[in-house]
Amino acid sequence: MDQLELLKKDWKNQDKIIPKLSKEELSKIIHRKSSSIVKWIFIISILELLIPITLSLCSRKLRATDEIEKLGLTNFMNIFYGMVFLVVLFFIVKFYKNYKAISANSSTKILIQKIIKTRKTVKYYIWFNLALIPIITVVLVYQTLHSPEIIAKNLDNLSILTIWVLSLIIMAIVVGVFWLFYQLIYGILLKRLTKNYNELINNEINLQNI
Amino acid sequence: MNKTLEHKFISDLEENQNIVHKVCRIYTNNKEAHNDLFQEISIQLWKAYPKFRGDSKFSTWMYRVALNTAITLYRKSKRTIKTQDFESVLYRIESIDYDDSEEKQLKLLYKAIHQLSDIDKALVLLYLEDKSYKDISEMMGITEVNARVKMNRVKTKLKNILNP
Repeated sequence: MDQLELLKKDWKNQDKIIPKLSKEELSKIIHRKSSSIVKWIFIISILELLIPITLSLCSRKLRATDEIEKLGLTNFMNIFYGMVFLVVLFFIVKFYKNYKAISANSSTKILIQKIIKTRKTVKYYIWFNLALIPIITVVLVYQTLHSPEIIAKNLDNLSILTIWVLSLIIMAIVVGVFWLFYQLIYGILLKRLTKNYNELINNEINLQNI
Repeated sequence: MNKTLEHKFISDLEENQNIVHKVCRIYTNNKEAHNDLFQEISIQLWKAYPKFRGDSKFSTWMYRVALNTAITLYRKSKRTIKTQDFESVLYRIESIDYDDSEEKQLKLLYKAIHQLSDIDKALVLLYLEDKSYKDISEMMGITEVNARVKMNRVKTKLKNILNP
């Protein structure tokens, strides 16, 4: 007999011997906690959404507002924070909507697409936060170098250049470390999903052309 | 969620639990992992149940949610992957008469299935359950042609593992 036919015959026979769980047992099972990957993705994403907000709130408290005022950046900072707040709000709403759309009722392809989309929102959010670091650095360094106190010190061009270069290097390292760390989390969380998704859709494009 | 809905769901699940056991059998290779996946699929079925509109058969809907859980949502523990025992295969063999060579072949077949990827395992299950290409393509969200191509490939893959 063909091996696959043998397998099918055996498969059909197992119906009689599969252990049956009682209604009570099933009722207990469905009330246990899920440990699905979507739940983990949700928890980690929420943490990722919250961390930059918390950091910026803390740094705002720590940073002497006097200093900002001295640098003449109060207005800039207020507008800046207002805009950032709106963007963050947009990301959170988008993330929540994507998350809500995830349903095991969908086809496998759509389900994976939705999960990846949810993570992508968080990815763009992280990029947005990382992009803020250079903007803030450049504005702060520029304003500091043009503040009356520094101008009074009459720095030569070389010192100014050194300050710029050092600040930018430190900034690049900070952004780089955050980016690498994030790539790691992103990769680990989505590795299996992406692999399954690619396997599922491969051929799809080629076949459409036949 | 209300109690009437829960009672109805538990009855449906009890009646069709074979489907969940079969999916677990394809995706896991020991009792502990089997029970773990069974639990996660049951939870996901219950979560998705209010959205089940009855436009497909309950059993078809169950396959869809169960396979989605196994392929996408279930988080395999490392312990499960390392375990190489095949209790789930052994639990049935005593009760059915097979000659030795058939039994050996079956063991090899199940072992080969466990080596396949998540997507291929789903295809094997749907093949064994005699699902149509139309059902398979709807469940997985791929075209019927692609489902057919994939099914042929997985059959060849299995044969290759068995007859190297």
